[in-house]
Amino acid sequence: MKDERTAKADVLQGTLVLLVLRTLEALGPLHGYGIARRIEQISEELLQLNQGTLYPALLRMEQEGWITSKWGPSEKNRKAKFYSISAGGRKQLTRETRDWERMRSTIDRFLGSIPEALGDEAL
Amino acid sequence: MSWRRVFAARLRGLVFRDRLDTQLDDELRFHLEMQAEDNLRTGMNPSEAHYDAMRRLGGMESVKEEYRESRTFAAVETLLRDVRYAMRTLGQNPGFTAVAVMTLALGIGVNTAVYTVTNAVLFKGFSYIDRNDRILYMTSSEGCCVSYADFEDWRAEAKSFQGMAIVHGVQVTLSDKGGFPQYRYATEVSADTFRLVGREPILGRDFAKSDEMPGAAPVVMLSYGFWETRYTKDPAIVGRTVQINGAPTTVIGVMPPGFIFPQNQDLWVPLVPTPNVLKRANRDTWFVFGRMSGGVTIESARAEMETIGRRLEQAYPLTNKGFPVVVRNFAGFYIGPNAAVIYGSLWGAVGFMLLIACANLANLLLARALSRSRETSVRMALGAGRWRVVRQLLIESIMISALGGFLGWWIAKWGVRSWDLASRPPGYSWFAQVLDYTLDYRVFLYLIAVSAGTGLLFGLAPALRLSKLEVNATLKDGGRGSTGGVRGNRLSALLVVAETALAVILLAGAGVMIRSYLNTYSADIGVQPDKLLTGIPNLSASRYPDATARISFYDRLETRLEAIPGVESAALASSIPLWGAARLSYELDGAPPVDDQSRPTLSALTISPQYFRTLGAAVLSGRDFNDSDGFSAPRVAIVNQRFARRFWPGENPLGKRIRLFSSNTPEAWLTVVGVVSNILQSDIARPELNSLVYLPWRQMAGGDMNVLVRTSVAPGSLRTTFQREVHALDPGLPMFGPFTLIERLQTKYWDKGRYTGLFLIVAAIALLLASVGVYAVIAHSVSRRTQEMGIRLALGAVARDVLSLVFREGMQPVGMGLAIGLAASLAVNRVLKSELVQVSPDDPLTMIATSAVLILSAALGCWIPARRAMRVDPAVALRHD
Repeated sequence: MKDERTAKADVLQGTLVLLVLRTLEALGPLHGYGIARRIEQISEELLQLNQGTLYPALLRMEQEGWITSKWGPSEKNRKAKFYSISAGGRKQLTRETRDWERMRSTIDRFLGSIPEALGDEAL
Repeated sequence: MSWRRVFAARLRGLVFRDRLDTQLDDELRFHLEMQAEDNLRTGMNPSEAHYDAMRRLGGMESVKEEYRESRTFAAVETLLRDVRYAMRTLGQNPGFTAVAVMTLALGIGVNTAVYTVTNAVLFKGFSYIDRNDRILYMTSSEGCCVSYADFEDWRAEAKSFQGMAIVHGVQVTLSDKGGFPQYRYATEVSADTFRLVGREPILGRDFAKSDEMPGAAPVVMLSYGFWETRYTKDPAIVGRTVQINGAPTTVIGVMPPGFIFPQNQDLWVPLVPTPNVLKRANRDTWFVFGRMSGGVTIESARAEMETIGRRLEQAYPLTNKGFPVVVRNFAGFYIGPNAAVIYGSLWGAVGFMLLIACANLANLLLARALSRSRETSVRMALGAGRWRVVRQLLIESIMISALGGFLGWWIAKWGVRSWDLASRPPGYSWFAQVLDYTLDYRVFLYLIAVSAGTGLLFGLAPALRLSKLEVNATLKDGGRGSTGGVRGNRLSALLVVAETALAVILLAGAGVMIRSYLNTYSADIGVQPDKLLTGIPNLSASRYPDATARISFYDRLETRLEAIPGVESAALASSIPLWGAARLSYELDGAPPVDDQSRPTLSALTISPQYFRTLGAAVLSGRDFNDSDGFSAPRVAIVNQRFARRFWPGENPLGKRIRLFSSNTPEAWLTVVGVVSNILQSDIARPELNSLVYLPWRQMAGGDMNVLVRTSVAPGSLRTTFQREVHALDPGLPMFGPFTLIERLQTKYWDKGRYTGLFLIVAAIALLLASVGVYAVIAHSVSRRTQEMGIRLALGAVARDVLSLVFREGMQPVGMGLAIGLAASLAVNRVLKSELVQVSPDDPLTMIATSAVLILSAALGCWIPARRAMRVDPAVALRHD
């Protein structure tokens, strides 16, 4: 159990917003549990989401105006809070995607430009 | 941009805290249920499914905590918690809370009231005149008096000013609608005065240059208030003719509402420079105002004016020697040269008082903090940070100071209103309301700052003490809190020393002020002032053209007044006690001759024969005047003891001769026929003005006389009768008064009395606070040492031993504070020196009385708890935990 967990990557600091926004953009309104499940499924259970951190994050995103929330009936007709992405959220998603792309290409370039041996030595 | 949205969202979070809490609960429960159901589907058993769901969420409570922190402002939320906690603790101890809040309310309220007044007098300026910071006020020598001829030279020569105006307050008689003439306060002004202060009439026209030409048709300007009350705002008044001093005068305009200049008045009339006014030797209570040109500073204007003044002194040594130009700011006209000292020391005094209140509260809080040290230790042991503990205590003290500030606001309001009422001289309802005493936002900010500052001041010391607790030791100690005892005691004792010292300083200050006031007010006037009524009938030159007519009027009036039941005697005098006397040039028989310029002056009064008897003074040797001391009889005079002692020490003054000069021509020799007891005509501090010569009025009949009546009944009850007798003789005669002599004397001294009274109130409050402080410390110490007292009593100590134990502890810091306070007050009282009359700033009697009062009240503060200590029942005390 312990080994299995260490094999999974923790959600990178700061990427949770990106994941949530992307999820909501793709799937439309979802409740918190749905978002958590979706992130875990998409990553094929490789991303270990500390589900507890999801709710404060949702609150902050709502305060920023990126998402909106509404209480409604769930699949089994239970009361649940559904989140959906707002216009501001779409803008933020574009921004965060662009930032992420830039970061990824930078890291890629960095990894590609440094000789393996030196990289090992540095580690 | 986004911080604003977040801020708004968090603000909502703060308001809907509880609703959001249940919503989060619902959301998380839903999450767990869904997860558990999914887990069941993967084949877990129910308890396993539930546990896994919990594990994945990562702990309900920490999620909630993190959620809450983001939901609203974390600091605000803990603050609210601390405030609720503080309210609970304060509510549990209503006695303590009440004492603390009242102490502070008193301190803050009085301080704010004095700030309001001081601010109005010293800093706020006189807002009813535009840009008065550019207006300067000028006289020759301090206070008095300007010569009109000098003013014309100033105006012509000074480059620093755009313009200069001269004003002169006068009383005029006004009759309109053919009615009974009335006294009115008027100001004679130069024609451009209103332009200088930047105000225009709202009705009619301003004064013009032609109005102040000698021989111009008389005109008058009305104040708005007078126009409103007297003429019910009738616009047709402009152009109408009224009688002023008997002369037909045209009303030319009305000034705007609220406008007065320079002091309260009903009317303005042009100051016409008649040949008499233009004489350079003629100095009167004229005052000059100038508006500075752009770029001119008060210093450069003063320098220029002083140069001009010196030139005039050289050019006209006869009239101008000793009359330098004095330049002051606009407010200087109203507040006098000593205002800064008076108001400054007052402010200092209430500042001290607030410090005493703070020291007291710090002591009370400290005492309480020590008894709560177990609670604090528990909190710290449970992980509360030091800052958290300090903050908790600070919030308590700030809440006390906030409540104190709230009550203090009402005390300040009441205080300022009383001051406002007290600052109008008795009997003069017209007195200028030039000062703005409103409690505006600045006062409010001051109050907030003072409240917050005091809250921090008295809260910080106990809070810091408490936060340094040795947690383990206190917990082991069983919560009696005696661990911090020694240090706590030393700090408490130090505070008692400080507040005792402050109370001593205030008491000593108030003490010398009171002695000074008593010296000026009651001790030595030399008359029996009660049961005297006085008025000044105004005999116009047209109806009473010569001495015979005037003497006849006064003779008949005296007879009529003495016939009133309840009147014992009536008399005439050119002035009344304390209201000054004429200064006349004189020469003593046998003195070496001097030139006209350096001839000395004496103070003289013309009186009727009954004067001394009516006032209650005594003829000590020789004789009183009588009705045969008239024009045809030999010229005589009476001197008072002071005069005799000053000019003929060791000699018999009877038969000595004096002669007076009118415009450098000697008059007939006067022979001294009597010596009377001293009556004060001026401030007791100026003996040269109180060496008096009395002249018989029948030989000197000149201006309007004060008519004085001694009554056997309350003098105020005869006012209308007095008035009726005057009008029975002359129905159209205006009269000043009648007032009781006490009223007129009070008018002279209300100012000093006011300051003294205020000082006394402040000192009394300080004394009260200091004794409460001693009490607080001793009471706390006694209750903490109940067990010890019990043991002592059980081991055979008697009540007296316990008493002396308590007193030793209590009086030791008091004694130290007393010593420090006395030493300090010797220095502090020097500030008051210029205000003191016939009492030294380090007056020993005051110092002794101060010490006695202080020791007595401190002893009382010790006695109450000491009595409790003596009554301790050893059996109960030993069980006491």
